[in-house]
Amino acid sequence: MTRVLDAEPHDTGTVDTAPTRADQGYDTVFSYRELARLDEALTMSSRETGLRFTLYIGDLGPKTRIRAEELHAHGGDPVDSVLLAVSPGQRVIEVVTGASAARRLPDRACALAVLSMTNSFAAGDLVGGIVNGLRQLSDQAGHPHGARRH
Amino acid sequence: MTVVETLLVFVVAPLAVYVFFWAVTYLPGGRQRQGVRYKPGQAWEHEPVWYEPQPENAPTHAAGEGDTQAVGSSLYGETAAIGAGHGSGHGPGHGVSADGHGPIGSSVIAGTRGATAVSAGTPVPSAGGPLGGARGTW
Repeated sequence: MTRVLDAEPHDTGTVDTAPTRADQGYDTVFSYRELARLDEALTMSSRETGLRFTLYIGDLGPKTRIRAEELHAHGGDPVDSVLLAVSPGQRVIEVVTGASAARRLPDRACALAVLSMTNSFAAGDLVGGIVNGLRQLSDQAGHPHGARRH
Repeated sequence: MTVVETLLVFVVAPLAVYVFFWAVTYLPGGRQRQGVRYKPGQAWEHEPVWYEPQPENAPTHAAGEGDTQAVGSSLYGETAAIGAGHGSGHGPGHGVSADGHGPIGSSVIAGTRGATAVSAGTPVPSAGGPLGGARGTW
């Protein structure tokens, strides 16, 4: 009858597609539902404001601010992007705004969002804190000038 | 009521109710929580991940110029060189994947559509003015 073929598994990912493979090395930090919330929050706040919100969750090393700024500079479009770098192991969050984004998101607004985020984080709610912080930041930034779509 | 009946009604039955609710609450095997449960102060031993917003024109990317034409590639094509230049690019593979093996390792996520991983490579000097932001601890 049928039997399982003896086939070596092979990886068809190219240099570019391999890092986005989903079937191996996937660290299930968040549930799918939480990932969906994060995805929606990031996408909608980026579309509302025209800025580019990205979220980094991981260790930031001993010099957290310098590491976060390096990460921010490395991401695409650093002038218009806002990086939320959360290091749960170190209990640190760093918000880095690019030069153009900082004009619409002053440091005081970022500090307020960070305050509300750290409140949620201290209660153990990582995703809820991030989503609420993104909401605050995007509310503060508002719509891009002359691009009000709704 | 005999003594046995009294014991059954007033001792064993309430105990059974308590034991039932204790078992439902504390014994494993119920609804499993997916993902990790974060408690403040616990160590975080996961790969660093970097989530990006979805590009606005993500699903409408058709194979065309700049895509690989490899046999077996998908209907929509794949962007030929994602890491080469266009960071805020167009298409499904819009993540900025520099060399793949940066100091923090190549972060791999996916699983849902949209939350895209970016692997951090060597840091580049910041361009375009001062950075703002805030920091907080908890």
